[in-house]
Amino acid sequence: MTANNDDGGRFTGHGAEWRDAKLSREEAQVATAWVEQKINKRSMLTNKSRVHDIRDEMWRLEKEGEIVVHRIGEQHDPVIAKTLYGWDKKIPTQQLWHHKSCGQCGNIPGYPTSLLWLMNMLDIRYLDETDQTSCTAWNYHGSGIGNIVSLAAVFLRNFHQAYVSAKAEGKPAGYYYPLVHCGTSFGNYKEVREYLLLSADLREQVKKILGKLDRLVDGKLLIPEEVVHYSEWTHVMRKQIAERQVIDASGIRATIHPACHVYKMVPQDVIYDDDVLDGERVAVSTGIMQSLGTQVIDYSTWYDCCGFGFRHIISEREFTRSFAIDRKIKVAVDEAHSDVMIGHDTGCITTLDKNQWIGQADGKNYDLPVLSDVQFAALVCGAHPYKIVQSHWHASSTERLFEKLGIDWQAKKVEFEQYLKQVEAGNQENLYDPRRRITGGPGYQKLEQIT
Amino acid sequence: MSHTATTTRKQTVIGDPVSDTPEVSQALLEEIFQDIQADLRYDYELNGCLNCGICTATCPAAHYYDFSPREIVQLLWTENLEGIYDAMQEKIWACAQCYTCAARCPFGNSPGGLVMLMREVSIKHGMESAKNVLRPFSRVMLKLISTGNQLSPDMINPEHFADWGPNISKVDAPLKLLRQAIPMPTLNTTATAWETNLKTSVELYTIWEETGVLDQLETIDENLFDVILDIMDEKREDWEDWKDEQDD
Repeated sequence: MTANNDDGGRFTGHGAEWRDAKLSREEAQVATAWVEQKINKRSMLTNKSRVHDIRDEMWRLEKEGEIVVHRIGEQHDPVIAKTLYGWDKKIPTQQLWHHKSCGQCGNIPGYPTSLLWLMNMLDIRYLDETDQTSCTAWNYHGSGIGNIVSLAAVFLRNFHQAYVSAKAEGKPAGYYYPLVHCGTSFGNYKEVREYLLLSADLREQVKKILGKLDRLVDGKLLIPEEVVHYSEWTHVMRKQIAERQVIDASGIRATIHPACHVYKMVPQDVIYDDDVLDGERVAVSTGIMQSLGTQVIDYSTWYDCCGFGFRHIISEREFTRSFAIDRKIKVAVDEAHSDVMIGHDTGCITTLDKNQWIGQADGKNYDLPVLSDVQFAALVCGAHPYKIVQSHWHASSTERLFEKLGIDWQAKKVEFEQYLKQVEAGNQENLYDPRRRITGGPGYQKLEQIT
Repeated sequence: MSHTATTTRKQTVIGDPVSDTPEVSQALLEEIFQDIQADLRYDYELNGCLNCGICTATCPAAHYYDFSPREIVQLLWTENLEGIYDAMQEKIWACAQCYTCAARCPFGNSPGGLVMLMREVSIKHGMESAKNVLRPFSRVMLKLISTGNQLSPDMINPEHFADWGPNISKVDAPLKLLRQAIPMPTLNTTATAWETNLKTSVELYTIWEETGVLDQLETIDENLFDVILDIMDEKREDWEDWKDEQDD
């Protein structure tokens, strides 16, 4: 605590009546624990009675004929998960439309490729197509360019495309269900869905725009029954994934970085699983890492953001790198002796992975491998560390992790460099038939049977 | 959703007597506040405030900047028009948009969400502070508005990210080849994060036009706006040409 000064004259901003409580450090810790930053289940239960389930409004609007709901049906082989307040959330596990992340695809391509590789391994039917935009929310949160109407129109345009996409393959509307890759897209879409369901004015504005784009269903807005993040799919599929594991991961000390836009935006929709951390914290990523047999190690700043900042990562990285190193990487290394930090969002993986090297300028020589949960899962299920996990795009020392897992990364790297010659000759290997990527417009080929 | 200005403040202008910065009229302060209040999200994101400070205790930006989400909420809650205007000059741009404050607020406020409304209004009013802050963001805006992707592989290079060190790619090969070696055919690109369908881009342009996003862009950066209009025209022509070819 600060030095005593009972004269009331100290400049504290509290006025002359202020008196020091003279608490010891321990007492002060107890007295202020209630404002600690932890965003766990207990800290959010206080609001439970005031939070509505927006899906009730969604079903009401559909019943009144104002909207159409894109349902998760039996064909999507759903698994029920429990969310923060014990509500059910349907997670589709089959026939998925990949809604890609610009940051993942542009900067961490091994993130989506690992996910698709896992789906191939589990014989999951999916579509990865070109007719989609990013959610535009990174730019919005960083710059303020955009607004609730533009965000809502982009959201429903992309989800409408997911709904009709299977027509290109001769299948009915609704065949594929959208699976959102980016955490910011996930949080943004959920928030925007709430406003769309709460505001008739917003619905009217967006309906006018989507009408011009021919993106209505029977003249109505199409609203998804659930907005589903890939980490939720991974969570409910974790046991099936672990059954196919070929590399022992029990020696790995993993720290988890839960992503803010995954579990702090619309928190009532987030999976809390009694089997994972006693249901006290967001379950995704921790669940799959436990199923894969790693040691998930706690660290005191688990709840902190990564420092991405949306604007800051582009134009004010002094904040980003300071926060990433001091509040996350340093703590995970010093406290948890972590071998790898695992995340489930685009910006976090980028920030935590890329902002370590510069720490050396300030004597902070921390070097912690950073991967997404699906990259780690693919790796221990036997995916190639370069061809599939694409680890060469990561700045942190993934090689050290590979060695601990018993993967001869040098040999694998040589294999990959040789494979590049094959690619140069136009013979690259793909995870699916490339013709399927175009479902309309230039380049579309109508094929009778595409597998 | 419309709101009536309810401020009781008497000051007619805001200005610093020892600064050359022009005074701001009371009318403009009220207009700015009304614009913030007019967003449909305002009433959901501001429900009350007892100054408990949980939001600031949880705020990553508060560690490093002269920024407090509690202060932002208080300024709006008490309708402190001068304070709101002042915060829009710099403080609102410190927020990292993590929404930790929103997850913790006992009132269900969203200070991070309110910051977004203030950022939007600062752009609408063409505030110099917004223009200055967003200048380095123009590469992202150009990419996003013209292609629908916010980031592309060719943006990640040592020139722009020297502080990321020597390992931006650990395999020494041309970017184009490394992208071709990604086993997702949509990702064999360098100028966009994924291959974007021409039809998709054209649909996105309609959304930008209909929702006033292009107007925002013109206010902030007229040159960038002109460049983007040219790109949009070109792609729309390509789309019309393709449709004509189908008719033939």
